[in-house]
Amino acid sequence: MPASPQGPRAAEALCARLLGKGAVSYARAIDRDAARARIAADGLPVFRAEAWKYSNVGKWYQAALAPSRAPSVREICVPDGVELHRFDDPAAAPFLTKHLGTAIDLARHPLAAVNRILLGSGVVVRVPAGCRVDEPVNVDDIGAAYEHILLIVEPGAETALVETPTSATHRVVECIVAEGARLMHRRVQPRGQAPQCGLIAARVDEEAQYSLWLLARGSELRRNDIHVTLAGRGAEAHLGGAWRLAEREHLDNQVTVDHLAPECLSRQTFRGVVGGRARAVLNGRIHIAAGAQASDASLTTKSLLESADAEVYAKPELEIYANDVRCSHGATVGALDEAMLFYCESRGIDRDAARGLLLRGFLREAIGGEEAESVLTAGILSAGEAVRAIPTEADAATVGEAQ
Amino acid sequence: MPLLDIEDLHVQVEDQVILGGVHLTVAPGEVHAVMGPNGSGKSTLANVVAGRPGYEVLSGTVRLAGEDITHASPEERALQGLFLAFQYPIEIPGVSNMEFLKAAIDSHALARGEGAPSAAAFIRRARATAERLGLDAGFLKRGVNEGFSGGEKKRNEILQMLLLEPRIAILDETDSGLDVDAMQVVAAGVNDFRDTGNAVILVTHYQRLLDYIVPDHVHVLAGGSIIRSGDRSLAQTLDRDGYGWIEDAC
Repeated sequence: MPASPQGPRAAEALCARLLGKGAVSYARAIDRDAARARIAADGLPVFRAEAWKYSNVGKWYQAALAPSRAPSVREICVPDGVELHRFDDPAAAPFLTKHLGTAIDLARHPLAAVNRILLGSGVVVRVPAGCRVDEPVNVDDIGAAYEHILLIVEPGAETALVETPTSATHRVVECIVAEGARLMHRRVQPRGQAPQCGLIAARVDEEAQYSLWLLARGSELRRNDIHVTLAGRGAEAHLGGAWRLAEREHLDNQVTVDHLAPECLSRQTFRGVVGGRARAVLNGRIHIAAGAQASDASLTTKSLLESADAEVYAKPELEIYANDVRCSHGATVGALDEAMLFYCESRGIDRDAARGLLLRGFLREAIGGEEAESVLTAGILSAGEAVRAIPTEADAATVGEAQ
Repeated sequence: MPLLDIEDLHVQVEDQVILGGVHLTVAPGEVHAVMGPNGSGKSTLANVVAGRPGYEVLSGTVRLAGEDITHASPEERALQGLFLAFQYPIEIPGVSNMEFLKAAIDSHALARGEGAPSAAAFIRRARATAERLGLDAGFLKRGVNEGFSGGEKKRNEILQMLLLEPRIAILDETDSGLDVDAMQVVAAGVNDFRDTGNAVILVTHYQRLLDYIVPDHVHVLAGGSIIRSGDRSLAQTLDRDGYGWIEDAC
């Protein structure tokens, strides 16, 4: 059996596969021509490209070259009032025509073009205008190696999306947040094995709000491209990300916030804990277009190193073409504070539990709220670090609020 | 048996000998004051007994209720009943006071072979104790020492002491940075804590705290060892005459 091609040859082989007649496609209802044209024109990026220098994308191409599994149909439940259509359903057609790919710049996100061509399973989730849903929309595995979730939050609607990409080689989550709508997007990425990449693309219209919190572990190769476009006046984006990596885990987060309209606000807060021989990358780009006056943008990223061999690359980038803006960014890398550890230990808290307390406090700066606590405990902390029975607001309420 | 027995303790920090043979014996029910000029080794003594990293014990022993803790971890010492109120309490951003205290109390309960108290029982007790120290209920929700005033930080140390009920509490310059009102609150907390089964060591530069917490024994630490011990009147002498005579004595 011939060895599978590596590096640039893997990219070439994959291009040939994608552009050839033989590419298997499952979701037939979507237009793949734009994606094919993009790949025919630009090819696929290789490890040497600036945007890919921290992630060996050749490993992902090898995974993409392997025959992908046939999609299976998974049950997806959505709360009352929310519509769900698979891409192949006729009912999905008008939404696909109007919205599919509108939040995605394929020139910037070439793997999204690969996803489009190889797409195995796609769903449209529509929250109709004015509809406010208390229960979150939960989307885990939707049954294919290449997945696309198109979430449309219509004007004035409000919802939360909780998604966990588990086995997909590439997942696109495309969010259209229309005028005055609100979307709270929570992504939980457990530790994985295989190379996995994905794109979260959100278009946020006038006075709309998109919030993302991302709680992630790494995998052999994992890259999250996150691209938020503030397209209407007064739109807001609040992005929080917390990750913990160990051993040889790899996590590359490439985040872009585009301020295209005036008076928009964006906040980005990232916290990472990196040990073993793991590698964490955060590239945070804030782009403010010429017409986007009175933009207010900030980005902070802090990392804690847990071992001498761990690697952290943190790069904020500002690209500003307007002259009336407020922009700030900051990045730090350090280690857990010995004085804090001693303070905990001097109160009888063992070292592991003390680490857990401090790590929890650190990661909470990026993702807060009670929803995050159980995920932090289960997904991020080890058993020894997970402090038992943290008093909650609910406990305090049973004793009566004294405030 | 003494609660705390320090025998011929020699300690160095970064190649510099700070303590050169300290002896100190503290019996249950006693309050000791350790006084001395700046740089005499008072804080080193407090920290080394609590097991703070960075202090090297060259020789000597520290026993807690007969058990040698000279080389025990800070956590083991705490669980055996030792408490250090920090001179500069540490801020822990993002971790609430409540969460921190519960973790500490649970560790103590488990070490005693008891179950951890329920969240509700814990909150009730923590609130009542905080109230005694003039701290409102919102205080427990704030990050540990995060943005606290100097007085709040010191009161928080006393709050922790009252909740953890140690056998021996070492208060390292708890009076520094306190106004008179705050000092009275702190002193009332310490006086509440005192009983025949526990003991307190007050490490202080000034005698004014001793107006509110009356010590049984006063020791003068200078040049790395205890050069004089006496009763409360020794503190008054120091307050009147300063520490100048000590340098002559050394």
